[in-house]
Amino acid sequence: MATTFHAALENLRTTRVWKSIFRRGPAITNRTRSVAVFGNLFLHWLPVKVREKSLRVRAAYYLGSLSFLLFLLLVITGVLLMFYYHPAAPNAYRDMKDLRFVVSNGVFLRNMHRIAAHLMVLLVFCHMFHVFYRGGYKPPHEFNWVIGVVLLLITLFLSYTGYLLPWDQLAFWAVTVGTNIVSAMPVIGSKVRFVALGGNIVGENALLRFYVLHVVILPLLAFLLIGVHFWRVQKDGGLTVRSKDDDGKN
Amino acid sequence: MMEKTKIESGFSSDAKKEPRRIVFITRNTSAKVKDDRGPELMTYPHLLVREAIVFEVLIIAMVVLALFWDAPLEQLANPLLTPNPAKAPWYFLGLQELLHYFPPFVAGILIPTLVLVALIMIPYFHVNVEGKPLWGEKASKRLAVVAAVTLGLLILLAVVDAWTIILPTVFVAALLVASYFSKATSGWMGSLRLKPLSWWVMTWFIATALCLTVVGTFFRGPGWSWVWPWGTHAV
Amino acid sequence: MSDTKSTPAPDSAHASPGPTELSRRDFLSEVTMGALGVAGLGGAALTYQYFSPNVLFEPPMTFRAGNPDLYPENSVTFLQDQLVYIVRTAAGFYAVSAVCTHLGCITQWKPEADMIACPCHGSKFQPDGKVIAGPAPRPLPHYSINLAADGELLVNKLEIIKPDQVLNV
Repeated sequence: MATTFHAALENLRTTRVWKSIFRRGPAITNRTRSVAVFGNLFLHWLPVKVREKSLRVRAAYYLGSLSFLLFLLLVITGVLLMFYYHPAAPNAYRDMKDLRFVVSNGVFLRNMHRIAAHLMVLLVFCHMFHVFYRGGYKPPHEFNWVIGVVLLLITLFLSYTGYLLPWDQLAFWAVTVGTNIVSAMPVIGSKVRFVALGGNIVGENALLRFYVLHVVILPLLAFLLIGVHFWRVQKDGGLTVRSKDDDGKN
Repeated sequence: MMEKTKIESGFSSDAKKEPRRIVFITRNTSAKVKDDRGPELMTYPHLLVREAIVFEVLIIAMVVLALFWDAPLEQLANPLLTPNPAKAPWYFLGLQELLHYFPPFVAGILIPTLVLVALIMIPYFHVNVEGKPLWGEKASKRLAVVAAVTLGLLILLAVVDAWTIILPTVFVAALLVASYFSKATSGWMGSLRLKPLSWWVMTWFIATALCLTVVGTFFRGPGWSWVWPWGTHAV
Repeated sequence: MSDTKSTPAPDSAHASPGPTELSRRDFLSEVTMGALGVAGLGGAALTYQYFSPNVLFEPPMTFRAGNPDLYPENSVTFLQDQLVYIVRTAAGFYAVSAVCTHLGCITQWKPEADMIACPCHGSKFQPDGKVIAGPAPRPLPHYSINLAADGELLVNKLEIIKPDQVLNV
């Protein structure tokens, strides 16, 4: 069974269609393996070779990669949830009920989206602290650190805007309290809150605004900055590897 | 004059005949300059396979979690009734705990803004890029300064009775002082003695944020009073 | 157009002394940046206007609180729909906001302790709105309260009055 499957795969690789998609041959030589990375749109920002030291688990604990994976998962589950969600009060709350009791697998999708969101906030924090302790912010990585801080902010905003969308008591009061903190800003505070909510209280306007921020503006911004962040990791010389790691102790 | 400074590139340019300065390497800049790159491996497959394995493990864990842990859904939003206690998402509960001690402008605007500005500015302070230990030169003088600052901070915190900040501060300060007097050269105390000031500041920040968040999440009940997470309370 | 043609070349412009030596390139780039700046500011102002709603569908700010006889003397009554306490003392009536001045949570009247308590961050108030304890920065505001023509109480939440102003009935 396994051998026939393997043979079928090998046959597939000789077809004209396969060869038109993957122009390189099988990735068994270093040359074709290089092409596999820099000839691929989705991998071309990676270096062709990586230092053995930066492959060790404790070099990054995969925190950055996993944050990105969670972002992708959030985009996928989020887009799927959008098919059943109306950003209006009180329909939004009814949609939550529908997702739990009426829509097939709706509750699973919502659970995945929520767990991924909380985990992403956690991992982005861990990622930042880990980079700090490794000295990853030092020259020439200064600007990438700043982008990282902005990405942390965007992650928090994404999570917070999403928090309002179920339109239940938890959501409403978390956002009421949070936006009242904004009005503690001197001079412009209450104006900022009014514009952010589109009113004096957390209502329909606020729900719609948070929705648009949550599903369009912030994800696009995050996607853009994640791209720059990854790009700069390579352009600034790869992961920071401490000379201390050379003798094998940490 | 113009001819000489013209940059030529392409196949015809000869770096051996006409050496050109590409980059300055100054002292105290990059760790990567000192570091020889060491052995290298191909990204495909070595890095990509590892990433794929880690991704799969995480997704499996999340699917299992999502099957058994349902997202909460409370009653329909009611602007006329505040649930008791009304809590923000967990990552803001540290802030909410701060709001319990300080006025909204200080806890909600000033402190977060300062933290953010400090985070952004970290790489632009070219102080101690090489990470020299705090207890290196002039150690006793530094101890006096650190002790004075810590004591001042503790008095300020005691005035507002913010003991959930005092606790982690005392903990980190105790480690700091212990590392000063320790004679250890190996083990965790030995490594603590080599930590720079920035390490200590960040560790204090993380310890405080962690303590505030944990207290805000698990130990605060109705009216932001102290509760035990295993006890039940009427709402 | 004729002006630009007659403008001397940059080299001769440097030769002729003037109050400010501004090359054509610098001038044009400053004008461009200035225009971009003005357009940016204008765009920001328009965006701000766009995001500030002119019509709001929020609960009305003035309401009738019924006949004064509904409220016994020395009582605090919470009007949940309006988020207002109607307090009647021996001196008369006043209306106190039920929204905590700290972060906008809805406070609760605790008759057994004779105080108003906020569930969010533990602020405590006297029935007249003064802060007893907790992080609330200001006392609860008093709203203007009057008698309508038909003898009912009329509260205006847009008008905040001094705490010593009391309505005698």
